[in-house]
Amino acid sequence: MRTPVKKLVTAVSTSIALLGAGHAAAEIQIGIAGPMTGPVAQYGDMQFSGARMAIEQINANGGVNGEKLVGVEYDDVCDPKQAVTVANSLVNDGVRFVIGHLCSSSTQPASDIYEDEGILMVTPASTSPEITERGYELVFRTIGLDSMQGPVAGNYIASLNPKRVAIVHDKQQYGEGIATAVRDTLKGQGVEIAMFEGITAGDKDFSSLVTKLKQADVDYVYYGGYHPELGLILRQARQADLNATFMGPEGVGNKDINTIAGEAAEGLLVTLPPSFDQKAENQKLVSAFEAKGEDPSGPFVLTSYAAVQLIAEGIEKADSTDPFDVAQALRSNSFQTPIGTVEYDKAGDMKAFEFVVYEWHSDGSKTPVK
Amino acid sequence: MQDLLYFFQQLINGLTIGSAYALIAIGYTMVYGIIGMINFAHGEIYMIGAYTALIAITGLATLGIAWLPVILIVALICAMIVSSTMGWAVERVAYRPVRGRHRLIPLISAIGMSIFLQNYVHLAQGSRNIGFPALIDGGFQFGSADSFQMSLSYMQITIFITTLICMTLLSLFISRSRTGRACRAVSQDIGMANLLGIDTNRIISATFVIGAALAAVAGLLLGMYYGSIDPLFGFIAGLKAFTAAVLGGIGSIPGAMLGGLILGVSESMTSGYLSGEYKDVVSFGLLILILLFKPTGLLGKPEVEKI
Repeated sequence: MRTPVKKLVTAVSTSIALLGAGHAAAEIQIGIAGPMTGPVAQYGDMQFSGARMAIEQINANGGVNGEKLVGVEYDDVCDPKQAVTVANSLVNDGVRFVIGHLCSSSTQPASDIYEDEGILMVTPASTSPEITERGYELVFRTIGLDSMQGPVAGNYIASLNPKRVAIVHDKQQYGEGIATAVRDTLKGQGVEIAMFEGITAGDKDFSSLVTKLKQADVDYVYYGGYHPELGLILRQARQADLNATFMGPEGVGNKDINTIAGEAAEGLLVTLPPSFDQKAENQKLVSAFEAKGEDPSGPFVLTSYAAVQLIAEGIEKADSTDPFDVAQALRSNSFQTPIGTVEYDKAGDMKAFEFVVYEWHSDGSKTPVK
Repeated sequence: MQDLLYFFQQLINGLTIGSAYALIAIGYTMVYGIIGMINFAHGEIYMIGAYTALIAITGLATLGIAWLPVILIVALICAMIVSSTMGWAVERVAYRPVRGRHRLIPLISAIGMSIFLQNYVHLAQGSRNIGFPALIDGGFQFGSADSFQMSLSYMQITIFITTLICMTLLSLFISRSRTGRACRAVSQDIGMANLLGIDTNRIISATFVIGAALAAVAGLLLGMYYGSIDPLFGFIAGLKAFTAAVLGGIGSIPGAMLGGLILGVSESMTSGYLSGEYKDVVSFGLLILILLFKPTGLLGKPEVEKI
C-alpha cells in the first residue's frame, strides 16, 4: 500500500512518537509490572508499595540527575499471557526501565520482549534460575535464585533426620523448579524421597493427595508453589490427621496462608529472604513505611525498593538514561541498598544473597529457626 | 488390610467430590433437557452461592450467633435465594431475548454472562482466596493408629446426605408435582406444550431457578469442605460438572448423578494410584471416550437431537 495515505499515517505516528519521547525526556519513567489482581495479588502489593516508596524518596531528594522518576504501573495478574501484553504496552508507552515481574513464569516471557526492545528489567521477586541463564544483557534481579533457595530448604530438612520426604509442586516454572532443586539436594544427602508429584494450580480438592501422603507415611512434605494451594493442603491434611511437617519456599510465606489454613499453618517451615526490615540500618525506612500505613515486612517490599534505587543510581553512575549504559554501570559498581551491598555478576544475578529458614505461626508471624 | 483402607479412603474422597459435582451438573442437565442449550454461566452461579453463604456466615458471626444449625440454615437459605435470583436473571438477560435464534448466539451470550459475573465478583469481593470457616469439624476413624487410618469426616457425611436429600426431592418434584409434569412436557416438545396451555416461559425460568438453587447448596458445602473460595473457582467446577452431565447423558437427571460420581471417583483413584498430574487427563479422556462410543452418555436418550 504505497499511497500518500500510508505516508501520512507514518508521519502522524512518528510525530506522536516524537511527542512521547519529548515528554519522557523531562522525567524518567519507571514501569512497575506485577500482579495487582489475581490469586497472588498480595505479593504485588509488596512490590508496588516498595517501588512507590523508593520513587517518592528519590524524588524528594532531588530525583536522578535533576530528573524526576515517574512510576507507571501495570497489572500482569501473574499470568504469562498477560505479562506479554503488559510488556508490549510498556514498549508502546516508551518506558525504558521496569521493576518486575513477580512470578517467574511471567518474568521469563516478558524479559524476551524487554531484551529485544532495549528495556532494562530488574525483578524483585522471580527466583527461577532460567531467567538469567540466557545471556541477556538487560535482565537483573534483587533476589536470590531457586538454585540457592532449594539447597537451603533441602539441607535443613536433611539436618532433621527425616524418615521419608514427599515433594509436591504446582507444575509451574517456579514451583517445579524449586521442588526439583530440593529433591536433588535431598538425594545428595541420601534422604529417601517417597514421592515427587505435581498438582494443578487452582485446584481446591487435595483429599486424594493427602490420603496418599498419609499412606506413604512421610514425616516431611516439601511444597513448591504458592500459598493458595498449600493453604488448602495444610487445612485438608489437618482434617485428615496427617502428621507431617510442611515446608515451602517464599511463595507461601505471607499472611494470606493463615486466612486459608487457619490453625493448620502453625509450624509450617518457610525459606524467605532475611527480614530486611529488622536490620538496624533500615529502621528509618521502616518508619517511613509505617507512617504511610504500609507493612514493610513482606519479602518483596525492600527488594522492590532496592530495584528502583539500583536503577536510579545506575543512571547516575552511567550519566545516561540509555538502558545499555545503565546495565554496564550496574555490572561494574557496587551499591549500598536496604537489602545490603549489591554487586552483579555477568548474568545479572547478585553475587551474594542468603535465604533463611523461618517457622510460620497461625497468627501470621514468623520466627527464624537457625 | 491397609491397602483396603487406602482404597476405601480414596473411594470416599471421590464420592464426596462426585456428589458435589452431581449437584452442580443438575443445573446443566435440566437446562439442556428443556431448551437444548448449555448454560455456561452456571459455574459462576455456584461461585456466587459460595460467596453469599460466606457473607451470611460472617454476618451471623458478627451478630454473635454461634449455634451451628442456625448458621447453616440461614447461610443455605441466603445462598439459595441469591443464586436463584441470579439464575432467573441470567435466563431473562442472556437467554430469553435470543432464544429461538441460531444455537451459537445463546451460547456466546452465556459465556459473556459468565465472564461478567466472574469479573463482578472480582471487583466486589477482591480477587484473593478467602478462607471459608470449617463449621463442621471432626469425624470417624477406622484402622489402628500406628498404620494407615481411614477417616470419614462429618463434613463428608453431610455432603453425601445433603446431596441424597436434594436428589430425592428433585426426583419427587419432577415426577409428582404439577410443575414437574409441565417440565417434562416442555422437555419433550416445547411447541406442543405451549399449545396445550403450559406457560413455557415460566417453566424455563423455573428450571434455571432450580438448577441455581442446587448449585448454591453445592457452593456452601464445597466452600466448607475445601476451605477457601475465589472468584475463579466456579469456572473449573463448572467445567467438571458439565463433563459429569455429558458423561451421564445430558438431559437426564439420574445421568447427572451417575456422571458426577463416576467423575469424582475416577479423579480420586487416578490421584491415588497413578499421580495427581494425570487427574484431569483421565477425567477429560473419559469424556472423549464416552463421546466417541456412546455420544448420548451413559443414561441419555438416543433420540435427543438438539445441539
